[in-house]
Amino acid sequence: MAEKITIGELHLSGCTGCLVTLADNYEGLFKLLDDYADLVYALTLVDVRHVPEMDVCLVEGSCCLDDKLSVEELKEARAKSKVLVAYGGCAAYGNITRFCRGGQWNQPGHASYVPISEVVDVDLFLPSCPPCPQAIRNVAVMAYLLLKGDDEQKKLATAYLTPLMQLAQRGNEACGCDLMYDVINQGLCIGCGTCAGTCPVRAITMEYGRPNINRDLCIKCGACYAQCPRSWFNFDVMNNYESIMNVIKGAME
Amino acid sequence: MSKVVEISPTTRHEGHSKLVLKVNDEGIIERGDWLSITPVRGVEKLAIGKTMEQVPKIASRVCGICPIAHTLAGVEAMEASIGCEVPEDAKLLRYILQCANRMHSHALHNILSLPDMHIPGTDTKINPFSREEPVRSAALRIQRLREIAQTIGEIVGGEAIHPSNPRVGGMYTNITPRAKAKIYDLAKEGRVLAQDHMEFMISVFKDFQRRGTTVVGGVDVPIPDDFGYHNQGYMATAPVYGSSSLDENPTWYPDRFTEVRPWDWYMGEMEVSEADPNYPIGGTTPVGTKTWPQMEACTGVPLYDGQPVEVGPRARLVQFRNYDGRGAMGLQIARQMEFPETMYGIIDAVDALNTSGSVLADEIPQGDGSLGWAANEAPRGTDVHLTRVKDGRVQYFSMLVPTTWNFPTCSRALTGAPWRIAEVIVRAYDPCVSCATHMLVVDEEKRLVAQKLIQ
Amino acid sequence: MDVLGNYKSVISARSTDRDILKKAQDGGIITTLFAYALEEGIIDGAVVAGPSDEPWRPKPMVVSTKAELLAAAGTRYTISPNISLIKEATRSYGLDRVGIVGTPCQIQAIRKAQLYPIGMRDVDDKIALALGIFCMENLSYQALEAIVEDHCNQKMESVKKMDIGKGKFTVYTERGAVSQMPLKLIHKYVQPGCNVCLDYVANLADISSGSVGSPDGWSTVFVRSMKGNAVWDGAIEAGLFETKPMDQVKPGLDMVKKLSTDKITKNQKNVDARKTAGLRADGTPKGLRNPYESP
Ligand SMILES: Cc1cc2nc3c(=O)[nH]c(=O)nc-3n(C[C@H](O)[C@H](O)[C@H](O)COP(=O)(O)OP(=O)(O)OC[C@H]3O[C@@H](n4cnc5c(N)ncnc54)[C@H](O)[C@@H]3O)c2cc1C
Ligand code: SF4
Ligand code: SF4
Ligand code: SF4
Ligand code: SF4
Repeated sequence: MAEKITIGELHLSGCTGCLVTLADNYEGLFKLLDDYADLVYALTLVDVRHVPEMDVCLVEGSCCLDDKLSVEELKEARAKSKVLVAYGGCAAYGNITRFCRGGQWNQPGHASYVPISEVVDVDLFLPSCPPCPQAIRNVAVMAYLLLKGDDEQKKLATAYLTPLMQLAQRGNEACGCDLMYDVINQGLCIGCGTCAGTCPVRAITMEYGRPNINRDLCIKCGACYAQCPRSWFNFDVMNNYESIMNVIKGAME
Repeated sequence: MSKVVEISPTTRHEGHSKLVLKVNDEGIIERGDWLSITPVRGVEKLAIGKTMEQVPKIASRVCGICPIAHTLAGVEAMEASIGCEVPEDAKLLRYILQCANRMHSHALHNILSLPDMHIPGTDTKINPFSREEPVRSAALRIQRLREIAQTIGEIVGGEAIHPSNPRVGGMYTNITPRAKAKIYDLAKEGRVLAQDHMEFMISVFKDFQRRGTTVVGGVDVPIPDDFGYHNQGYMATAPVYGSSSLDENPTWYPDRFTEVRPWDWYMGEMEVSEADPNYPIGGTTPVGTKTWPQMEACTGVPLYDGQPVEVGPRARLVQFRNYDGRGAMGLQIARQMEFPETMYGIIDAVDALNTSGSVLADEIPQGDGSLGWAANEAPRGTDVHLTRVKDGRVQYFSMLVPTTWNFPTCSRALTGAPWRIAEVIVRAYDPCVSCATHMLVVDEEKRLVAQKLIQ
Repeated sequence: MDVLGNYKSVISARSTDRDILKKAQDGGIITTLFAYALEEGIIDGAVVAGPSDEPWRPKPMVVSTKAELLAAAGTRYTISPNISLIKEATRSYGLDRVGIVGTPCQIQAIRKAQLYPIGMRDVDDKIALALGIFCMENLSYQALEAIVEDHCNQKMESVKKMDIGKGKFTVYTERGAVSQMPLKLIHKYVQPGCNVCLDYVANLADISSGSVGSPDGWSTVFVRSMKGNAVWDGAIEAGLFETKPMDQVKPGLDMVKKLSTDKITKNQKNVDARKTAGLRADGTPKGLRNPYESP
């Protein structure tokens, strides 16, 4: 077996739910760490105190511009990692920190929070609040194949990761309203209901075949849009869903 | 002359925090400050003007380790403010969620604590990710316990981490008989595993307290008998669930609560005068660095009856079960002792649940601005949310979260310990920091709170 | 991939269960397969388009008995957001093995949710059987109302069955009346999203089925995945279907291929046309979003 890749997690202004998600692969977490990836950084799980060099850096949480350390660590993580992932709604889109307005003791000056792509270039988005254990598992396996696999495996991994990389290029503003702007308004909605099933705060109901977004509930996690089959749908990858899922399953056995 | 050591950031807990320690020539802590340096997202302030439905969902996202506590405290504070009684079956579902979250969180806490501990009877420290036995079996058991708990949480709460099913007035949906049967099966498996796991963990923590010394960064460090002792009081509202201002006999008393700012409590500006580059991993802060806890702390200092108090497993056991284990390991052991109750609690609640019962109040008032509070016994201790809701919108919101209570208490518990094992105390007290960046009831508001509730 | 997608076999079939045939749209394939899968423990429940308060307006529903399946049998030619329940089916419903029926686009949504579970935690390996139904286009509820009440001149409440076939939309009422309108006229009512749909026969389902290609009362069945194959073989062995080889039925597979090719060709044109749907100030074209290229 090829050597492992190195993965780290930088915790910025998030809630650690994203990290718990990684741990929620349960037995699979050990499989990942035994065979594919060394966890070289994550203050909550390992003792390493300062940002090291790593292949893949998962960034959890948005970046508080009023906290020098956060900005510095984020820049350092960018400089020291090959692939930087906005891991979760906060890092990718701001999520609940979009609502921040400061004014709270003991640091009333902490008022400006931005998605990490305002500060550094981000290679890949993994939205939702939190993302799913299976999503981070898939990305970890694919990152391993991308960095350590043979040509065939690299091709597969590239195909798989491309939409998530494109998502990072799309922008860092997300809201249930995206379903209106970029799906319904664009004449693309098919009323499948995926968005309503996805939303982690039950902000979406289906009314006569179209999503209705309760904007007083939406936390701006970006899950609904990213999960919608009409936000992106890549036939190259999807037509091989069975074999790709088998590759991932096989890797985890 | 005492020297100043700083460990920043501390590791193996959630969020960002640091330790600023005044130590004597033997390296024993004379005074320690443990403080959060996690940016303050300001949930109390961003909540204002938002709907009473949304604020608990946001509050949940304060912490991904005890999100259920924040969701439930948030939802129930809203219900307390608007005066809404929720149906019995909704309460049972919430109780199941509460137990499931405690199980998962305690088990996760074990993974974070284990690396300081030794395989009993050996000098080998435990790396929970190692493939070696007996570590791997214990680690897999932890993951299985977490899987059981998270799965139960997911069935009842809709999502395993931030639950989506609880809402003001009850729950969005009851569960089906099939789901009920599934929960039974899981909890029954969990009950057996939890017992084994509790025994294993207690033996590991007892071993640490007995061994006399432990090696940190190549240095042999003595473990004092009174490791992590403090003389502060305890605060808990219930063995498992909590209390609210809707209760006939509430068990939390807002008028006994006061708060000081870090300025009055933490140490002033200092310069680091001792450092150890071999301290794992990455060393302590270099000599000459300025440090200023008063200015840097991100939390206030809450007092109960004028004193910092401990909240959490031991506080609950002291208050309701006559527990008397002291120190850092006494706290760790108390946490393990809570394992079995979580599964029994789920089994009892599922027994009582009527799957065809209504789980949403018939009428949900929109609120007239009255103050309501709800205290929830989160894995790490009492989590109180206070709010005023008017016409469905939040006018005032405050969160007195577990770690904020424990910061000053744990700081006191550092005194007398060798600085190299200070983090072991921190990890025993509380691995959960980012929630603690949210609270502060300024004095004036506090008086309002107290007055209103006394009336 | 070819216009009919990957498949292991294609057969013409009809359920041997008379109760099902009475309620089903065509050969009762979907209802029979779910009933079988429930019986065998292959699924614990299925997400189907169940009845709602309004006539002919489907409501996604999790069912776990044959009686409930029968109540949801038959085609409603309007949107039923079935995917909205796949996560919840594994939560408060307590299912570990979920069956789901959907139009081709809904099956696409399922596969995306399995391969890229962005907000679909613990769902991927619980999808035990995804059955697809062929689909040329779909209608909003209001459009269906207009077709039935205005064009076909029948009350929604009194309609017993609706069907599409031989170029016509046909409505049968409880009292025995039959009204038709030419399919051509329907196009203006089709939901816009269908105009860029590139799948007719649910290429990504485990098993997919529709009436096209087979005689009245029979269905054309594509068995596609490993999972689908196992379920189909089991159902055949249990004697749940009468079957005929595709090359012995009329109009046969060529008809399916023709309609599929027509749909995909037409819609691919629509997709391409989006690239140049608008105009920039400098005279160059301005495009609309293409979901098959990037988000
Ligand atoms: C909008 C639409 C367009 C169609 N177009 C064609 C076509 O062009 N050519 C063709 O051959 N077949 C088409 N079909 C499929 C066909 O009408 C039958 O549904 C299919 O042949 C299955 O019949 P059956 O007797 O095997 O299934 P049955 O046993 O009757 O079961 C049908 C199942 O589909 C579910 N269902 C009903 N309506 C919907 C809906 N709107 N969305 C999702 N699920 C639903 C029901 O709940 C039931 O479980 C279309 C179906 C729909 C919904
Ligand atoms: S995305 Fe959600 S789970 Fe992740 S850090 Fe943000 S609030 Fe927490
Ligand atoms: S509607 Fe729901 S899924 Fe979509 S961005 Fe808002 S919170 Fe996230
Ligand atoms: S997920 Fe489905 S229903 Fe929701 S916007 Fe996308 S296409 Fe429409
Ligand atoms: S035509 Fe395509 S997009 Fe429209 S409902 Fe049918 S499968 Fe879905």
